[in-house]
Amino acid sequence: MGSSSSALTRVPQAEQLMQETGFSPAHIVRLFDRFEFLDKERRGELRPQDFGAVKELAMNPIGDRIIGAFFPPGQETVDFPSFVRVLARFRPVDKNRSRDPTQPEPVNSRTGKLKFAFQLYDQDRDGKISRAELLQVLRAMLGMQVTEEQLQSIADRAIQEADLDQDDAISFEEFRKSLEKVNIDHKMSIRFLR
Amino acid sequence: MPGSHSPASFGKSLPERGLLLLVVLVFLEGSVLPLGAASSPDISPQDNNMDHDKDEVKGHNITKKAFPVLSVDYKHIHTPFEISLWVLLASLMKLGFHLIPRLSNIVPESCLLIVVGLLVGGLIKLAGEKVPPVLDSQLFFLCLLPPIILDAGYFLPIRPFMENLGTILMFAVVGTLWNAFFIGGLLYAVCQIQPANPSNLNQLELLPCLLFASIISAVDPVAVLAVFEEIHINELLHILVFGESLLNDAVTVVLYHLFEEYSGVGTVTVLDGILGVICFFVVALGGVLVGAIYGILAAFTSRFTSHTRVIEPLFVFVYSYMAYLSAELFHLSGIMALIACGAVMRPYVEANISHKSHTTIKYFLKMWSSVSETLIFIFLGVATVEGPHSWNWTFVTVTVILCLVARVIGVVGLTYVINKFRIVKLTTKDQFIIAYGGLRGAIAFSLCYLLRKDHFPMREMFLTAIITVIFFTVFVQGMTIKPLVELLAVKKKQEAKRSINEEIHTQFLDHLLTGIEDICGHYGHHHWKDKLNRFNKKYVKKCLIAGERSKEPQLIAFYHKMEMKQAIELVESGGGVKLPAAVPSTVSMQNIQPKKPPPAPPAERALPQLPKGREEEIRKILRSNLQRTRQRLRSYNRHTLVVDPYEDGLNDFLLKKQRMIELEKKITEMNNYLTVPAAPPDSPTISRARLASDPQAYSVKPMSDSVPTIQVDLASPQSPDSVNLMDEFRRAGQHQHQDDDEDRGLMMKPPSEGRRPNKPGEAEGAKDQQRLVRCLSDPGPSADEDEDEPFLP
Repeated sequence: MGSSSSALTRVPQAEQLMQETGFSPAHIVRLFDRFEFLDKERRGELRPQDFGAVKELAMNPIGDRIIGAFFPPGQETVDFPSFVRVLARFRPVDKNRSRDPTQPEPVNSRTGKLKFAFQLYDQDRDGKISRAELLQVLRAMLGMQVTEEQLQSIADRAIQEADLDQDDAISFEEFRKSLEKVNIDHKMSIRFLR
Repeated sequence: MPGSHSPASFGKSLPERGLLLLVVLVFLEGSVLPLGAASSPDISPQDNNMDHDKDEVKGHNITKKAFPVLSVDYKHIHTPFEISLWVLLASLMKLGFHLIPRLSNIVPESCLLIVVGLLVGGLIKLAGEKVPPVLDSQLFFLCLLPPIILDAGYFLPIRPFMENLGTILMFAVVGTLWNAFFIGGLLYAVCQIQPANPSNLNQLELLPCLLFASIISAVDPVAVLAVFEEIHINELLHILVFGESLLNDAVTVVLYHLFEEYSGVGTVTVLDGILGVICFFVVALGGVLVGAIYGILAAFTSRFTSHTRVIEPLFVFVYSYMAYLSAELFHLSGIMALIACGAVMRPYVEANISHKSHTTIKYFLKMWSSVSETLIFIFLGVATVEGPHSWNWTFVTVTVILCLVARVIGVVGLTYVINKFRIVKLTTKDQFIIAYGGLRGAIAFSLCYLLRKDHFPMREMFLTAIITVIFFTVFVQGMTIKPLVELLAVKKKQEAKRSINEEIHTQFLDHLLTGIEDICGHYGHHHWKDKLNRFNKKYVKKCLIAGERSKEPQLIAFYHKMEMKQAIELVESGGGVKLPAAVPSTVSMQNIQPKKPPPAPPAERALPQLPKGREEEIRKILRSNLQRTRQRLRSYNRHTLVVDPYEDGLNDFLLKKQRMIELEKKITEMNNYLTVPAAPPDSPTISRARLASDPQAYSVKPMSDSVPTIQVDLASPQSPDSVNLMDEFRRAGQHQHQDDDEDRGLMMKPPSEGRRPNKPGEAEGAKDQQRLVRCLSDPGPSADEDEDEPFLP
């Protein structure tokens, strides 16, 4: 990748980003190219409308939530470093990471990935997935094909299963527990972002 | 009886064992005798009779004998008789092993069966008879192998298979090629070494060596299945080794034909090599294509079987077998065709067929594959005794060693390469198990048996070597793999009970990852999977799945399946006739609006009312069915069938029973339902709609049964029936439930005891109950047969 070093200089805060997220220079450049592709007006930051260029997102039932996840609450735009930080969560986990308790847990660890997913459910950020939020997600995913009643019963049953402290909502710990059998490292990693 | 004095705890096993051994001996005798009678050239009484008959027909004046009251004519039936004897022997052996638990814990079943085969072979040889050539190609490849492969293919766990497809292909293709050439080359080299006294090994050419190596290098699915099923290893390793054993068939086929063709000639040119590579792709992809075509045909056929449920399983079996035969016709890979057929047709067929058919298919496949496997191992033992053998120390030992070495090197090397591309890497422990699990089996033996003696003068030596390798892998590796798994603390298979949460979140994550991939502009794994799903939903499901089921989203199907299982558990635990009415249906005749979730104002919720005569019928049917299902509680256990929903904890049941009793009380208060003119209640769509599932347009089916709701053949595993049942339970569960002293054990009180407070509700409950029960015992040829069964107190 002979051009990477020169390409890297175009990228703002490249070094720092690489440190923080663990991406290699090639990846940073690739992501930057993608960023620029989405950022058609060359403003250096993305707005929600820019994500509309990705046509498949429109068909995705939770597309708008995903887009929303890029934007921290209250902000209307996202710059490149934040863009990269969000995507960093989907890097495959480094198996041989040194278990240093003083270092903060990297953002692409299992917990980090789960937290990200949790936040997508928990739109009002109160730390719990309430029944209404779960219903919203179910409605989005199942769409027009099921009745309201069925959705209700599914949501009921889901909460009943996961809710251990009987507060009629799913906290992060309960969320994590209900997914303990699922191989999150595998499921929430995108290979090419290694 | 040997066991009559033993303590109670052994009381069951000893007499059984004794009896079993006795029976076995009898049968062995039985098998030997007819063999003797059949092949002995002596004039036996029957021949005399035949001669005399012939003479009489010809009109010669021979003295008239008395009319033969009882005559023995073995020749007439000897083939089916022998086949049945063998099958019976195999099954009895299987029974026998499981009566001796300690033995079956230590020694895997395959080993025991081979030993039995050896014994039987020895007996037959002692009796001086010719051992039937049971492992010759026809019988083995056309009759014994397909059931096992179909069983494997139909129940193949698709998701882990697809996720690891790259790895599996690498092991299957590259690994087998490596094995073949490594072993073949080194064997040839070893044979060429001329020690002081040149042995006839030097005559061995390169090509036969390579052919031998290609036969022996393939991991055998039968052996792998037999051994791995007992060790309950984690899903990843299981699917890796097993998938490899299935997919390497294509490689084996190509190599085998390639070397066999040219062994006669003696040389293989580069062109042949290239053609071989092309042939490989043709064989593999062609096999898959043939299988897929038949699979789609089967799925399409199953769409129309709603009126003839009895023959549904037949379609599955016949189409699959045809796929296998068609592939074999073109020398394509029959195994891959079978796998493709089973895997392709399964999701669609399961959506179309009834619950009973599903069970039938499951059990038939397990039964056939079980018997096949047993027979294969026994025959292996028998064929070993028969020979022909030609033992050559050098050749055999070198072969065994090379097999092991090649396997280890191959696995280690490939894993190194594969791990660069995998997200979840394979650890050393994994590699060890994969290498150790490379068992050889009967396919290799049969392939060698097929070789023609004139082309391969060393055929017998090959056979001996192959048998030795098979014995080594099956006995040594098969027996030690279980303790090794324990020793190395390899992860075991997790109990597969998926919760609804997992399902929801997994789907959510799928969407999330697809979205992220799209944002990154990366067409990765999720992207294509999503595209495939969309295509599937939009076009394929519409074609292949009958009626309304085609629009059911997967999450809903899963949810219904879960609810169904729970409801079945409830019923079986004493759920009672008085199950609460289905909740408020959202649909009356007018209320069906396509594509919009109906707002369903409470006033519109209604329960259809049944005329009294019908109620009686329903109740009668319910009683008989419930009784039957309860008696069916014990599950059949090959080694692993799907986790049986019947065998869950009892506590759950009791709890639910309490809730349900609460619910009954609630029902007595539910007296004020509007009734809607009973819509023809037998259309599956309507009943489903009644239970608030599909709001979409439905079609009314004509009632062809006297009792309503019998037509409901929702009784497929993904029925939506139980949704509202659980609703009621849940709602009841919200209340504090106290322990009632209503009797919980007795469910089948005849309704005439007058405990029904509310007729319509009761009927409703009965109807619902029946609907559930119908799922368990699908109407066979006619529902009337059920009514004739006496109520067993």
